[in-house]
Amino acid sequence: MPNRWPAAALALAAGLVVIAGGTTGLLLTRHSTPALRPAALGVGAVPAPTGPIVGAFPSPTGPIVAVSQSAAPKPVAAPVSLTIPLIGVQTDLMTLGLKSDGELQVPPPNMVSVAGWYTGSPRPGAIGSSIIVGHIDGGGGSIKGVFFRLTQLSAGDKIYVKRADGTLVEFQVTSVQQYLKDHFPTQAVYGAVPDPELRLITCDGTFDLATGHYLSNIVVYATEVS
Amino acid sequence: MFFRNTTKKLLMLVAASALLLGIPAAAAFASSATAGTGWIRLAHLSPNTPAVDVYLYSFDDSTAMIVLHHVAYGTVSPYESVKAGDYSVAMRAAGASATSQPVLSTSVTITGGHAYTVAGMGPESGLRLQVMNDDLSTPSGQALVRVIQASLKQQVVKVAVGSTVLASSLKFASVSPYQAVSPGAATVTLTAGGTNTTSGVTCAAGTVHTFVVLDSASGLEVVNLEDASGSGKPPSGGVQTGFGGTAPHGPGSALPWLAAIGAGSLLALTGGLRLRRNRQLTARI
Repeated sequence: MPNRWPAAALALAAGLVVIAGGTTGLLLTRHSTPALRPAALGVGAVPAPTGPIVGAFPSPTGPIVAVSQSAAPKPVAAPVSLTIPLIGVQTDLMTLGLKSDGELQVPPPNMVSVAGWYTGSPRPGAIGSSIIVGHIDGGGGSIKGVFFRLTQLSAGDKIYVKRADGTLVEFQVTSVQQYLKDHFPTQAVYGAVPDPELRLITCDGTFDLATGHYLSNIVVYATEVS
Repeated sequence: MFFRNTTKKLLMLVAASALLLGIPAAAAFASSATAGTGWIRLAHLSPNTPAVDVYLYSFDDSTAMIVLHHVAYGTVSPYESVKAGDYSVAMRAAGASATSQPVLSTSVTITGGHAYTVAGMGPESGLRLQVMNDDLSTPSGQALVRVIQASLKQQVVKVAVGSTVLASSLKFASVSPYQAVSPGAATVTLTAGGTNTTSGVTCAAGTVHTFVVLDSASGLEVVNLEDASGSGKPPSGGVQTGFGGTAPHGPGSALPWLAAIGAGSLLALTGGLRLRRNRQLTARI
């Protein structure tokens, strides 16, 4: 008979705990605020990197000296790291290729804090549009990706890429665009350009639970600072 | 009633999302990021014309934006990016005053996203400034090549890269159309006056090249300019750079929590009733 007491008391206590838990959960659900992208600027405490900056061309204003292209363009070293002081990005660069279906590879889920350079695109600082991609976030627990704050960049912001030979190339943002992936402007992003440019790509917009992908891409366009 | 309201709200939300997402994305697509900027480069390709100073002016500004000093035959400047608009290019003898009457001048309209070469072409007696539209679109997996024939010694030249003939009889001071070629290292063969001149070139996939045929001390030479470069194999579609961990999400479903509250209530009620019965039993004893 006495052993009925604890069982009943336990049931009552457990029931109350479950009610409390359920109520808390319900309240939390009702009050869940969307995890909006941060609006604050200048979050990064990352200093601009130092190193020899190799400007390709003379300044476009004022008299400039004619540079003969008679010689083949000097090859530049492969990129090894990326720094964007304004948004606190400082990362090594992995190399990325194409998947069998032709889509661009991305860093794996356990490496969302690392950006990657598409080896099929020009090297940063060489003539052409160089492609660097990074995740906006990880899969769960609100893990932020290396390019979580990419949308905070705007025209004039600086981007630095360090290359395998220790040289540094400095870029300046010219524009930030959002595109639906269904309408991705392949030519504008991957097409040929006649000067050294950089494109940073990440995701944005609505997350489609059915496919596990965001519906939009953010593309940051930048040109080399001469 | 509740359902009807919810449906209406949902429809409005969908409409608003379409407005917020769809239209700006479409607008951004229509006008590329480089819409406001184009590129221009300047060249001296007249074999018997002495060195010149080349000036680039924004159309309504008498102060030059760019001055290239002492540009000799065979020189091609790098591209400069400039705002879309009207410009003029002037050539003066090397060292001539910036305010002196130019030997030659021409106007050029630069459209955003497009590139142009303005070159002094022809013999000195018939020197002219030619504006060329430079192609920036490469067929996937291939390179794009054209030829500028700037040899006065050989008035007609045949130009081939590997086994692909780029121009069978290209006249002095003319430009061939662009042609797609297989990427990689290849041999360029210039044939003129029964003589072949060869040199090695490399054209990567996704690049645009201009081969310039020049008079050299010993005969002909070809300069391989890499005009532009992009991804040789452009990735298809967008890039899957997110797993949704920080995705904005609306209120989750209340059902599991309501079920938990229900189950908890049942458990607590059962426990409570049992306790009361136990107490009553104990009281009777």
